[in-house]
Amino acid sequence: MSWKNVRLIFMREVRDQLRDRRTLFMITVLPVLLYPMLGLGVVQMMLTFSEQQRVVVILNAEDLPEAPTLLDDNGIDPDWYDNGQEDASRLRILAARAGEDHAANGSEVPSMPSELAPSEEADSAGHAPGAESRSAEKRPPRRGDKTDAELLAAAHNLAEQITTIQSLKASSTAAEDQSSDEVTREQKRHALQNLVSERFGESGFHVLVVVPKGYGAAMKSMQNQIKARSEGAETGDTQIVSVPPITIVRNSADEKSSVAFDQVQAALANWEDAIRRRSFEIASLPVELEHPARLKYVEVAGEEQVAATVWSKLFPALLVIMALTGAFYPAVDLGAGEKERGTMETLLISPARRVELVLGKFLTIMLFSVATAVLNLFSMGLTGQQMVSGIGRGLADTVSLEFPGFGPLMWMVILLLPLSALFSSLCLALATFARSTKEGQYYLTPLLMVVMGLTMFCVSPAVEMTPLYSVIPVVNVTLLLKGLLLNAPGSGNLVVYAVPVLISSIGYSILSLWWAIELYNSEDVLFREAEKFDLRLWFRQMLRTKDAVPAFPEAVFCFIMILMLQFVAMKYMATDLNAPDPGSSMMRLIVVQQLAMIACPAVFMGLLLTTSLRATFRLRMPSLPAMAIGVGLAVIAHPLSMELSRFLVEYQVFPDLPESARQVMALMKTEDRPTWLLLLVFAVTPAICEELAFRGFILSGLARGGRLAIAVGISSVMFGIIHMIPQQAFNAALLGLVLGLLAIYSRSLCPAMAFHFCNNALAMFYSTEASQFNTDGVFFSRHPDGQLSYEAPLLVLCGIVGILLIIHMIKVVSTEQDLKRRGLILAYGESRTPAYNDDSP
Amino acid sequence: MIRVQGLYKEFADPRTGVFRALDNVSFEVKPGEIYGLLGPNGAGKTTCLRILSTVLRPTRGLAEVDGINVVENPEGVRGRIGFMSCNTGIYDRMTAREMVEYYGRLYAIPEDKLQLRIDEIFDILQMHDIRDRLGGKMSTGMKQKVSIARTIVHDPPVIIFDEPTSGLDVLVARAVLKAVAALRDQGKCIIFSTHIMREVEKLCDRIAVIHCGKILAEGTLPELAERYQQSDVEELFFDLVQRREDEVAEERRHAGSEVQP
Repeated sequence: MSWKNVRLIFMREVRDQLRDRRTLFMITVLPVLLYPMLGLGVVQMMLTFSEQQRVVVILNAEDLPEAPTLLDDNGIDPDWYDNGQEDASRLRILAARAGEDHAANGSEVPSMPSELAPSEEADSAGHAPGAESRSAEKRPPRRGDKTDAELLAAAHNLAEQITTIQSLKASSTAAEDQSSDEVTREQKRHALQNLVSERFGESGFHVLVVVPKGYGAAMKSMQNQIKARSEGAETGDTQIVSVPPITIVRNSADEKSSVAFDQVQAALANWEDAIRRRSFEIASLPVELEHPARLKYVEVAGEEQVAATVWSKLFPALLVIMALTGAFYPAVDLGAGEKERGTMETLLISPARRVELVLGKFLTIMLFSVATAVLNLFSMGLTGQQMVSGIGRGLADTVSLEFPGFGPLMWMVILLLPLSALFSSLCLALATFARSTKEGQYYLTPLLMVVMGLTMFCVSPAVEMTPLYSVIPVVNVTLLLKGLLLNAPGSGNLVVYAVPVLISSIGYSILSLWWAIELYNSEDVLFREAEKFDLRLWFRQMLRTKDAVPAFPEAVFCFIMILMLQFVAMKYMATDLNAPDPGSSMMRLIVVQQLAMIACPAVFMGLLLTTSLRATFRLRMPSLPAMAIGVGLAVIAHPLSMELSRFLVEYQVFPDLPESARQVMALMKTEDRPTWLLLLVFAVTPAICEELAFRGFILSGLARGGRLAIAVGISSVMFGIIHMIPQQAFNAALLGLVLGLLAIYSRSLCPAMAFHFCNNALAMFYSTEASQFNTDGVFFSRHPDGQLSYEAPLLVLCGIVGILLIIHMIKVVSTEQDLKRRGLILAYGESRTPAYNDDSP
Repeated sequence: MIRVQGLYKEFADPRTGVFRALDNVSFEVKPGEIYGLLGPNGAGKTTCLRILSTVLRPTRGLAEVDGINVVENPEGVRGRIGFMSCNTGIYDRMTAREMVEYYGRLYAIPEDKLQLRIDEIFDILQMHDIRDRLGGKMSTGMKQKVSIARTIVHDPPVIIFDEPTSGLDVLVARAVLKAVAALRDQGKCIIFSTHIMREVEKLCDRIAVIHCGKILAEGTLPELAERYQQSDVEELFFDLVQRREDEVAEERRHAGSEVQP
């Protein structure tokens, strides 16, 4: 590979992109102009837009105590609000002082339940003249606003109905034994409740405050009583007069209502505090009693940290999205666009190697991805700061949007690089795969959805960096960045994660780069013609043009089907755990799941889509040595995998096992079940079903192209994925590699089945029988928890033998491959090879 | 210079499973010779030339350029050929000079030599007036000139033209053909595919008639006329193609009757 060529291609592509006005606009002009313009727009909106006032109706305002006065001439006294005049201007208070005619409807607390629900037509317009509006009239009423009279009428009506509901509730709790009566009462109450909520919505006000009749008088007499007591007068009654409650009605489902409610509530609470202080005064008690358990809250977060929490949420998410979009558009242009404009072939016939082409293009895309992300963040940060310092004086006091310091910024740049590399290589591969720019654009949505989902997951506060997350693409970078920007105590430890994050991110980038190079090497992707797609024709073709073994997409489809079935079945698996005998129902479910969701799809697809079940499922007699290797490898792999999973659990690489998995484990330990049954459930069934699916149908399909290593790798990852629980999935994926190699080496499914059976059986015995095992201290010892422990000498021995066996198998397979490539052996798995045609069943 | 022996190329086809684009194709081309590949659209001309340019890999068979195998050392082959087809476009956002320069550098021509070479080519092809024009703003004829310049910038011993005149007007086509003839006179080994009889008659030293992936006849024009008793090239061509089509239809019928017992 010549770096000169890479540089040449890189320079050309960059110049090409820079000459494209659209790209230049998207990447530089847009972010630089967009954010300031958006900011300006927001400022404009904030200046011209004044919040709509919310209406609060207070009924029986004359019954409020005279001191402290809640209301002034314009509504609630601004002093009571948390934010003073600002809150007051947002609320329109309508305080009704009841005239003579209101006394009849007065909301005296629990009156007798009226047997008739008030009819909907009940009109109380007559109340209006008695009402006196005390709203903060800062502007003329708008068209569509209800008049004060209408509002008050509705308020009175509502207050009445609410009283009815409450009395119904009270009486139903009082007389619980009258069941038949209660049902009708309950129904009535329910109907009334619906009616009230409907009326409330239509009423035009957002909060209704009902002061009970005689509230002020009650309060006064209470205070007098207290005063009398404190003066030592023996009044005789120990009970203090209780003040009837003020009813505050809101609809928390309505945003306006709940916002207004919060403000009213705060004002009333402050008012209540004043009353309490007054009462203390009257009772000659120290004012300190107001807060008897004195609490003091100390905030240690500096201003910088408060700002950091804002940025720590915003920046990682934006960085990810911007890096992706910044990579995507140039990638489509460089990949599919080149095909579309007919310059791809020109480039392919140049002496540059495919690797050089891909690297040159990749570096170009990465440059644009990084540039887009940096420019966007920079422009946005500046705009945000400008806006806050310019207009948001109120906001600036509570949230400071200081830019993160130099350290976090450096981390952002460092972490942006692997992130951009990953997106760039992935986008390049997708864009190369696409036939046209249009097709390329289609791939953006799913990619963006997945990435956004991962980012949203990371932004939620509960999610923190763990060893497992540090190797998941996108998640690792986002979480690390979030942690570093948060700058929370102990975030210094996070830097340790930078190593796995960087290494895994670079690893993923290399993988997808490799995919892109593969695509450039594969001629059918570069010369794929757009064909009319006809589902029916396609399906018919699929059934008609069967081969001995499945095709690659069919194998992938089989896996997806298994995954989907498992997903659907998850619900049933969970509910049945609560059955009376969870043990046996669990075992039954495992067998059913294995047969129906793993073996069935594979066998069914094999019957439908292939001509040779024997070739697809490798139903051949294995050679004796192959069987021996299968069994032997399982025995060797057992201690290694056991100690590895113990190690992983100890170092908390994976989260703890979920409860359902624990139950399965516990089940394996229960003594009262016959061994043969346990073996059947946990060893025989998985060995047969999972092997048929994964080493049978799926591996045969994946390996059809002749790329055995990739096929084994993909099939083992798939095998890991269906094991769901991370810990098991990791173990299964590793074992899947060995199983795949075994199947390809022996050309038979039997050794893999033997391996699988032995592995599961050994794991079972490990948890049941191994506690009685005699330990010698050299090869075997005991863990503190009583489990059998395999010691280093044994592990090393197993490792060496295992590696030798694996090397042997790889050698055999690769010589076979080599011979096949030279045409000495007919291609493996192709339909025209006589070896398969004569043994179809 | 070019040696093709028993070349097969098969593509996966969703309808029929496998589509054989080349079926045991063999020929040789010597330096200073224009070898014409004559066949209707879809005959396999482009596939064959794409294998020679290493963009496609043969399913079976041997293809060598200047003694180098296209499968074993594709980069070496690409350095020794110039390839031009209607699918090898030029970049819209590059000027003529930049385009030729870029490819010259990819061929690792030393910078001083490259500049001289470009001047020389621009002289021959009379391209000086379009040297700073962007590809997107050029007419088809100008683009074709740039393509030719790009093809010969590294002075390759072997040049492959895949229907270089398709879609061109008479004047431009004539200029292209003249350029090809001039290259032959320089002793280049040229392979030239077309479906236009006139071009074959005018230009080619030897021709091969290809249809449905098979070479039906090969030789100089007089040889062919004598062998098939047909002096008119066009008639000769139609006869051969017709015969091959009948053959293919017969094969299909045969294959079909085998499937249905």
